[in-house]
Amino acid sequence: MNVLKLHFKPIAKVKIKSKILFFIFLVICSLCSTSMYSQNEEKKITGRVVDEQGELMVGVTITEVDSHPVNGVVTDVNGNYQIFVKSSSSSLKFSFVGYKDYDIKVGNLNVIDVTMQESITELDEVVAVAFGTQRKKDVIGSVTSLKLSDLRVPSSNLTTVLAGQAAGIISYQRTGEPGQDNANFFIRGITSFGVGKKDPLILIDGIELGVTELARMRPDDIESFSIFKDATSTALYGARGANGVIYVTTKQGVEGPPRISMRAEGTLSMPTKDVEFADPVTYMKLYNDALYSRDPFAPPIYSREKIDETELGRYPIIYPAIDWRESLFKDNAFNQRYDLSVSGGGNIARYFVSGSFSQDNGILRVDKKNNFNNNIDLKSYTLRANVNIFLTKTSELIVRLNGNFDNYIGPIDGGNEVYYKVVRTSPVDFPPYYPVDEDHKYVQHIMFGGLKDRAFLNPYADMVKGYREYDRSLMMAQMEFKQDLDFITKGLKFRTLFNTNRISRFDKIRQYKPFYYELSSFDKRTGKYSIDVINEQSGEEFLDFWSDEWARVQQSIFYAESALTYNNTFKEDHTVSVLLVNILRSQTNAQANNLQLSLPFRNLGLSGRATYSFRDKYFTEFNFGYNGSERFDKAKRYGFFPSFGLAWSISNEKFWANLKNLINNFRVRGTYGLVGNDQIGSADDRFFYLSNVNMNYGGFFYGKESDYLVRGIRVTNYANPDITWEVSYKTNLALELGLFNEWNIQADFFTEKRKNILMDRVDIPSTMGLTAPVRANIGEASGEGFEISTDYSHYFNKDLWIQLRGNYTYATNKFEVYEEPTYEKEWWKSRIGYTISQPWGYIAERLFVDDDEVANSPAQRFGGIPNIAGDIKYKDVNGDGQITELDMVPIGFPLTPEIIYGGGFSLGYKEFDFSAFFQGSARSSFWTGGDGGPAVIEPFVDGKNIIKAYADSHYSLENQDLYALWPRLSTQHQANNTQFSTWWLNDGRFLRLKKVEIGWSLPMKMSNKLNLKTLRLYVSGSNLLLFSKFKLWDVEMGGNGLGYPIQKTFNLGVNVVL
Amino acid sequence: MKKKITILILSAFAMLGCDNFLNIVPDNVATIDYAFRMKATAEKYLATCYSYLPYLGNPDNNPAIFGADEFWLSNHYSYIFTFNIAKGEQNPNNPLIDFWGGYNGGMPLWQGISQCNIFLENIMKVPDMMEEEKRRWAAEVKFLKAYYHFYLLRAYGPIPIMRENLPISASGEEVRVYRRPVDEVFDYIIELIDESLINLSETIRDEHTELGRITLPIALGAKAKILVYAASPLFNGNKDYQGFKNQDGEDFFNAEYDSGKWQKAVDACREAITSAHGLGYELYEFKGSHSTKNISPETQLKLSFRGVVTERWNSEIIWANTSSTTQYLQAWCAPRALDASQMSYTGSNGSFGVTLKIAGLFYSKNGVPINEDTQWNYGNRFDLRVGTENEKYYIKKGYTTAEFNFDREPRFYGALGFDGGIWYGAGKFDDDDSYWLESKRGQFLGKQQAGWHSVPGYFAKKLIYYTNTSTSAELYKSENYPWVMLRLGDLYLLYAEALNELNGPDQEVYDYINKIRTRAGLPDVEDSWTGYSKTPNKYKTQEGLREIIHQERGIEMIFEGQRFWDLRRWKEAPQELNKPITGWDVDQETAKAYYREKILFFQTFSLKDYFWPMRERDLIINKNLVQNPGW
Repeated sequence: MNVLKLHFKPIAKVKIKSKILFFIFLVICSLCSTSMYSQNEEKKITGRVVDEQGELMVGVTITEVDSHPVNGVVTDVNGNYQIFVKSSSSSLKFSFVGYKDYDIKVGNLNVIDVTMQESITELDEVVAVAFGTQRKKDVIGSVTSLKLSDLRVPSSNLTTVLAGQAAGIISYQRTGEPGQDNANFFIRGITSFGVGKKDPLILIDGIELGVTELARMRPDDIESFSIFKDATSTALYGARGANGVIYVTTKQGVEGPPRISMRAEGTLSMPTKDVEFADPVTYMKLYNDALYSRDPFAPPIYSREKIDETELGRYPIIYPAIDWRESLFKDNAFNQRYDLSVSGGGNIARYFVSGSFSQDNGILRVDKKNNFNNNIDLKSYTLRANVNIFLTKTSELIVRLNGNFDNYIGPIDGGNEVYYKVVRTSPVDFPPYYPVDEDHKYVQHIMFGGLKDRAFLNPYADMVKGYREYDRSLMMAQMEFKQDLDFITKGLKFRTLFNTNRISRFDKIRQYKPFYYELSSFDKRTGKYSIDVINEQSGEEFLDFWSDEWARVQQSIFYAESALTYNNTFKEDHTVSVLLVNILRSQTNAQANNLQLSLPFRNLGLSGRATYSFRDKYFTEFNFGYNGSERFDKAKRYGFFPSFGLAWSISNEKFWANLKNLINNFRVRGTYGLVGNDQIGSADDRFFYLSNVNMNYGGFFYGKESDYLVRGIRVTNYANPDITWEVSYKTNLALELGLFNEWNIQADFFTEKRKNILMDRVDIPSTMGLTAPVRANIGEASGEGFEISTDYSHYFNKDLWIQLRGNYTYATNKFEVYEEPTYEKEWWKSRIGYTISQPWGYIAERLFVDDDEVANSPAQRFGGIPNIAGDIKYKDVNGDGQITELDMVPIGFPLTPEIIYGGGFSLGYKEFDFSAFFQGSARSSFWTGGDGGPAVIEPFVDGKNIIKAYADSHYSLENQDLYALWPRLSTQHQANNTQFSTWWLNDGRFLRLKKVEIGWSLPMKMSNKLNLKTLRLYVSGSNLLLFSKFKLWDVEMGGNGLGYPIQKTFNLGVNVVL
Repeated sequence: MKKKITILILSAFAMLGCDNFLNIVPDNVATIDYAFRMKATAEKYLATCYSYLPYLGNPDNNPAIFGADEFWLSNHYSYIFTFNIAKGEQNPNNPLIDFWGGYNGGMPLWQGISQCNIFLENIMKVPDMMEEEKRRWAAEVKFLKAYYHFYLLRAYGPIPIMRENLPISASGEEVRVYRRPVDEVFDYIIELIDESLINLSETIRDEHTELGRITLPIALGAKAKILVYAASPLFNGNKDYQGFKNQDGEDFFNAEYDSGKWQKAVDACREAITSAHGLGYELYEFKGSHSTKNISPETQLKLSFRGVVTERWNSEIIWANTSSTTQYLQAWCAPRALDASQMSYTGSNGSFGVTLKIAGLFYSKNGVPINEDTQWNYGNRFDLRVGTENEKYYIKKGYTTAEFNFDREPRFYGALGFDGGIWYGAGKFDDDDSYWLESKRGQFLGKQQAGWHSVPGYFAKKLIYYTNTSTSAELYKSENYPWVMLRLGDLYLLYAEALNELNGPDQEVYDYINKIRTRAGLPDVEDSWTGYSKTPNKYKTQEGLREIIHQERGIEMIFEGQRFWDLRRWKEAPQELNKPITGWDVDQETAKAYYREKILFFQTFSLKDYFWPMRERDLIINKNLVQNPGW
């Protein structure tokens, strides 16, 4: 389509806001032919057109309403226009593809500046679909496009944006650690319970990439961001599409002089919420209580004197009272981001070149004595060049180069682990480090606090003793060739694309071995004390180095795709399109610890699409994917995944004409089809049809010196040639409604049936002695749900506009076929009918009243210390007189949220704009302590600290609260109290103010003076408010609550276009 | 041009034709067949079969170290699964030391049996091996298969018998195997061992690469021991398990006593001992070394008792697990410090303390139980007494300790470290200038904080090689001896026991007990009882002699992972393991306060504790399995 443009000379550079050129072009040519008439009219109007972000809009058509012949112009490269109209009673109509039309009466105005509003469901809009584009009104499948302005949040991680932005995405974020803060996201929930891939396929410029690569995309480089959800939109990706597709394309150059866009942002980042711990004195008192309550013979570990002195605080070194979080973390961190892009070009070539830099810092402290940085410092650079070259009038060559580089410095075990270490440390045993005293003047190292005769953890020492460095890079080179084949038949085109990616990451760790000191004497009268090193031999002052081989990534991906397309309209009524595409993909990983993993991962496929529509009223579409994967046995290697869809635009029928003003769009559509998934099972058991044997597993030492080792052999996978694709059967029914030309509503109802889910055979008893699980494609699950999105926009006048939007996704799922033992009596143990992430747990009735009750209740044997009053009492559901696994019942909501919703508004008044966005999540639960259960935060056990909330509310002899937050304290792991039970299941529901932004654009007069096209300043904030019943930590973190907190940010930015 | 483009398009789509693109697996990816294509890989599979021998030298994996009443630990070590068995925390939800599935410190023994079956199915296929060698290897694996069955039987009672592996494709009902009555399982185990005997080698030719492999004396010894188990009260005429039946009503335990079982045990013991003698095995005695010239007879006796286990491959050891060595065990048994200069040492920590009950088990110096000795003042055993010249090789001269520690048999001083006790070795080899322990609070070995100290006050010296030293504050250097699975002394005592059970006391029984007593520096059993016991005729009756043999065995085999099982097979566990665990009051600084018996734990043992619970999940998966009584 680009090709056609060469025959004319468009008067303005075309700003590509959505990815269609065809319609833009049509509009442009119609204007070209008419603009010459408008030279000598009576009244001259000038002005400038910008979008909501204040960006100049090029190529907007301005026409005088009801003029004959049509009087119209197009905005120039600077967004400016001038038009001569007949009289002041004339009206002007501003229009641009993907934007709402804007009408204004000229009156006595001479200057009319206009802010155009994006329209999500503009009928002529073109959206990305698999291997191509379609007009929005032709799309039958379920495809959602995100507005690019919504992708811009004060974060260097694009994935954190997704929650609540688009109907159909279930997303949540569990940590705020820079570099690790990728959100989890799923399209229409998770409908597979296999151990394989559950998250969507991510395609960037058609290439499958990982979550981190998506996370590093800069919104300013993105041209379109779409989500494919149902069968017809994903079936072409037969092998990979079952979990939905996220499809991103990058910008291309537009003809014209260089257009330079710059953006700079500075962000202040801080935890949304900190977990509060009990004060040190309370800690010690409760520790003694805990010790005594379990063992009346036990002497208190913290003496009266220590507690009193700690409280008085006279000798902070002798009687330390450490707030480890304060010692380890700063209050906030400053982050920055810069984007720069240049685009332009001429008849032969067009270019888009962009570069960006971002730096995200952690909030970890650094010790001045070290000359290295152990705080998180993630610098990320991207460079992108997209160049389109017209080789002939009918052939185009596109070269895309993209590099993305991360340089990371941070703590050895990662920031999340540093946070967890705070919990695992007692606040009163030792200070982080001892100050240099007279005896240790000569000592060069930091004198960390420690304990001689007990295991201890000094998180400060662990944090500052060294650092991890990693370099991650993605290099992508892509060449695409497009050829018009009109000479064969009109509407036939061919394109082919070759792409290669290299992804690498290597980690280096440098650290010294800390010296720990312990107090050796203290004279209370003089206040003098002495300290002694406790690990003179094993400490080392110098840095040691190793490279972390486990973290190493080296990946090489080759991808090729060739497509033939045919589009034509016959007799104006019959529109036909056909697509045939073949793909080939090969990926090799260097980090392979066995032969099977060292072999390339490959896919081969042929896919096709045929569409037919009649007068924009009736639409039909057929798709198929025929794909092969190297993972399966020859007989099972290829899968065929067909799908079809139908749509009816009722509002285009004649009988609707009268309603058209009220209901401008009314359309129903439906699809059904199959999509496959070959990424089943874990990477380690790749070739299901082959057995995998580890020829060097374990072994036995023989010999007089026990030093002659003969390695053993172990089957790690049993062969099963029958294993094949996981297949998803998807149905989608949708309704589109457009009201008053201002309000759009779209609702999708979907169901999915996932078959052939790979699962472990569970009925194989231990007596078989198998060394690896046996698997088969026997599982089935189903999913269903609905999603609604709506947007509304309204101009009050040329200065004031408002836009509202919202979306809501509900996706649930359940086990249909799941191999499990037959439960004759305990029917509740069967998973069938429950959601895939349904938690099972014991029913915690309350705490035991007294020891007699313990003795007279069903036996609760979980190992660990005997139960006493104040321990959790569970319900004996099956009534067999003991609490066993059989008494675990499904409790609470699933662990993955079933509802994600978001909504917000944007408001513009003259140069100002203001927007706010809320996001929420519901129908989810999480375990206190996550997968590890509450044992992860069990107070006092292994020296752990106690969370203030638990210090305030726990069972004790003084406060025999049978429903306290924490049961009776113990200094040893109490397995009874840390079982998964209703006691520890929390409601994960929340609503948060995700983003607020206020912007101001420089008025045109001033920007013209400064020779700028646009200048916009904005302040924004993210995660500013959180509404939730759960108070201990940021509820979105779920079970990871003691990890690196989710960040709230305050952001200042400027965007300049030259 | 058009032609070129057409060619381009066609070639682009031609890629589809290359199906080879997906054929990426090279031909020689390892499969199980590779294991038996040559001797070198078959040897690996042999090692695989061996590798399922439980790590009995590791206290975390051997339930018989902490699981009974020999050791007691600080509550800080409640993460040690085996210790939780002693505390009565065994449970069917998440069984401790789960040998069935291989969880919580247990070895997955069914996997071990399955590996043995794979080996036995395939070993004859190996082309480059001599027939005789194949048969020898197969015999070793047969023995291992028998031993794994025995280990499961001992832990779980009736178990399924896995003669052969079921195919992976076996149907649901086929794989749901049934437990078999204990007699049938014993018979199968003995059958397997008998099959192996003919092909096993008598000795190891290359000690550097083959020591640890199964030999004929090992198989004979193990067979003897297994038959003694089969004849013992737990499995022979046990009426407690009447009503414990299979799904189809079959009794798991035969309630009828059968003296023929003892006959088999006697025969097997005799054969094993004869074979061992023929191959030169004899009781170990410390004969001195380069560094221990001119030591007193007392010290020599002590070192003999320490050496039976810790002296690698001494003349008495028939079977030791070369893959389960004892560095960790020793470092945690050895006292943290041996004098004040080592107070800050952390290389060893002495956390595995020995209970007062076990210290009381040892005889008086007259070779009879302390409560039976007419000369030993049992009533005043907790009084204080000062060490003198007379016992200077046992107790530090001039040091005040309890009567309890005085006038005991040499094995007491060889096996135990205690406050005031002499600790020979560890770098000090002059008998008149040895280390001694001081373990009251405030002393160099005293309790500092919870954790690193012996909670009951005694240390398991027997398990510590005498030259081990703390070379620096953080490093404990030890003789890394392999865990002893079977030694001649064990067989002597089993033989004596079996003989007494079969025919009552006679001279042969006394002889075998006396061999052990002589090595321990004690008078003969007849003389001791006649001369010093309040019940001088005890050794003349079957019941009396049984009691004597049980105590002799308790002392001789202490800390070797026997008592846990012996108490069960004798059905004495309900008496012994329902007593409170006690120790000295180690929180005290003065001798007077320290030497008071302090209760550490009220141990309980009931019928259910004889056997492991099966994991609830295993029962759900295989409905044909019946849970053990009481769980």
